[in-house]
Amino acid sequence: MALLLLVVALSVITVFPIISEAQSEQKTFLTHSGAVVQTSGEIIDPLYTISTVEFDPDEFLRNFEYGRISISESGQTIRDYTIIAEDDKIQEIAPGVFYNVWTFNGTVPGPTIRATEGDLLRIHFINNGSKEHTMHFHGIHPAGMDGVFEPVGGNGGQFVYEFEAGPVGVHPYHCHIMPLEEHIVHGLYGVFIVDPKEDRQPADEMVMVLNGFDTDFDTENNFYAANTIPFYYQHHPIQINTHELIRVYVVNMVEFDPINNLHLHGNLYKYYPTGTDLIPSFYTDMVTLSQTERGIMEFEYQYPGKYLFHAHKVEFSEKGWIGIFLVRDNPEKNMQEIEYGT
Amino acid sequence: MELSDNSPKGRVIASGIIPFAFVVLLMVYIFGPGADLLDLGVPLPEITIEKVDFVDSEIQVTVRNTGPIPVEVVMADVNDRIQPAAVEPDRFLERYETTLVRIPFEWNKAEPYTVGITIEDGTRFEKEIEAAAPALDLTLDLAIFFAIIGTYVGIIPVMIGLLWLPFIKKISKQKYHFFLALTAGLLLFLAIDSIEEAIDVSNENLAGSFNGTLLVATVLVLSFLGLYYSGEKLVKKADSSKLTKPVAIALMISIGIGLHNFGEGLAIGAAVGLGSIAFSTFLIVGFALHNTTEGIAIAAPMSRGKLMIGKLAAMGMIAGAPAIFGAWVGGFVYSPFTSVIFLAVGAGAIFQVIIILMKWLREEGDKNFSSAPVVSGFAVGMLVMYLTSILV
Repeated sequence: MALLLLVVALSVITVFPIISEAQSEQKTFLTHSGAVVQTSGEIIDPLYTISTVEFDPDEFLRNFEYGRISISESGQTIRDYTIIAEDDKIQEIAPGVFYNVWTFNGTVPGPTIRATEGDLLRIHFINNGSKEHTMHFHGIHPAGMDGVFEPVGGNGGQFVYEFEAGPVGVHPYHCHIMPLEEHIVHGLYGVFIVDPKEDRQPADEMVMVLNGFDTDFDTENNFYAANTIPFYYQHHPIQINTHELIRVYVVNMVEFDPINNLHLHGNLYKYYPTGTDLIPSFYTDMVTLSQTERGIMEFEYQYPGKYLFHAHKVEFSEKGWIGIFLVRDNPEKNMQEIEYGT
Repeated sequence: MELSDNSPKGRVIASGIIPFAFVVLLMVYIFGPGADLLDLGVPLPEITIEKVDFVDSEIQVTVRNTGPIPVEVVMADVNDRIQPAAVEPDRFLERYETTLVRIPFEWNKAEPYTVGITIEDGTRFEKEIEAAAPALDLTLDLAIFFAIIGTYVGIIPVMIGLLWLPFIKKISKQKYHFFLALTAGLLLFLAIDSIEEAIDVSNENLAGSFNGTLLVATVLVLSFLGLYYSGEKLVKKADSSKLTKPVAIALMISIGIGLHNFGEGLAIGAAVGLGSIAFSTFLIVGFALHNTTEGIAIAAPMSRGKLMIGKLAAMGMIAGAPAIFGAWVGGFVYSPFTSVIFLAVGAGAIFQVIIILMKWLREEGDKNFSSAPVVSGFAVGMLVMYLTSILV
């Protein structure tokens, strides 16, 4: 009988904590399918948690770095940039998730470097990291400026990359030190835009770097995003106007997964692969991008409202690579004159 | 303590305390000035997903911090797709603390799911569930259902086994020894079975930091020693009280078997809880057949005393009824940790009973274990158990 009592007592001990769970102050959140859920605890969700993460994708989206401009004696435009590499920063890359990012000028992606074809670029590269780093630009330049065989030592090593901007288009730049995958996935990459000498049509321009983070180092990405922060543009829609030309410079920097893609809702875009041609190759709502594959997308919305854009590789969109264009009515139907490329 | 105390007693105490004081100093040093010594290596956080329940439009995940440092639960996913979720009471977990992660999710019955939990450094931990099945609600109907099953598996078969008592009573001493040895064989099998089950449960559900196998070993030995000590007392007392020695031994056997049957009840309750009805049907039939042999184990020692129907029935209850409690616990509040403890306690109890039985057999018999009835009884006991266990 003592045994029975013991068993009963132990059962009660096991059950009790479950029953006694206090139902205190309730919080509410929405599920992906719109159901409302109440909790007495905390909400963990990269989408619905309003969180100030350290990197601001809104600021990055429309930010272009034109450098310190001077004119040479021969009349060539010279653009001087200073880029500093670091590899010790711990950044909150999704609400509550901290990851050691390696950065160009303190952010992932690094600054969007923008020049006109034929400009002379002088990139003053300083490596304040602990490891060797370089800057390797996709494009046309002399072998010695390729950032592969000229490793720049850490703790203050310097190098000046000097070359003429070209060809026209959108290109990535990234560190090219071995092990290469490690240097890229930690965040040492950015976008390099070369504008044609004759301006493209004025537009609301933005940059989207499609990237991912493997936070547990199992060679599979845990998060995906357009511009680093998962679900950011779903929570903070990108505001655009109807009847206004939108131009998106898209660069795919996702590692590990062979492909990425971009699907636009309620519209189609003109697609210029690598941006090297001024005539679009496709009119579509879906392009597939391999590693460092990139291009320019141009579109205009007729109808106001909310439109998704996301990877149609749905795994990626459900891990953060998804966003919303909030299209506002533009009654004047006149495009706001936006100066191109200044 | 005054070390200068010259009385012999003081010296004894001092000599007992001095080494202890050095141990304290050693600890103080390593945590204080010598802390740098230990400042090497990186402590890796670890969590264990102990339990996953499928309730109405929701998956509920019990997470325990089983690593050396505090962690924060920051994200939940289902099949590697990020889901909004709630953590109750909060996302901060000290060592060994648990939290409940509620993931709203329209899951489909019988489909496999992988549930993932990510902590603040981005490490993701996951657990696979072979087939989603609704968690059992604590209803009276279900409680009665489990009670009936527990009775069917535990009490009735043991009682049936007890019916062999008149038969065992009438047989010769040789044959009686055979049955006693058979009982020991049955019990040895049950003990090994319990250990295996305990280690399985701990491997599948407990974090490495619990040292599952050693936990089982420690609990088993403690349970053995505890029962051995109290058992000896009981037997000694039996000499002077109305409790006869056979009754005392039978009582201990019943307790050991009861603990074991609690484990069987757990297995059945958990199987029903997991929705594997076909599996649990096999378990029920298998255990029922298996447990009739346990009745023999109790009947064998009792057969040499007076026939005491009341005591016999009570022992049948002690041995059988825990299956009901086991089924309740397994079905409603399954906790791998408690299960491992119960199974290990049961194994320890059974070993203790085996020792008592062997001792008795030795005293009763010709001071040796190599007689044909004993050896064959033991062997047959193991074999019978093995064969009936195939049914499970």
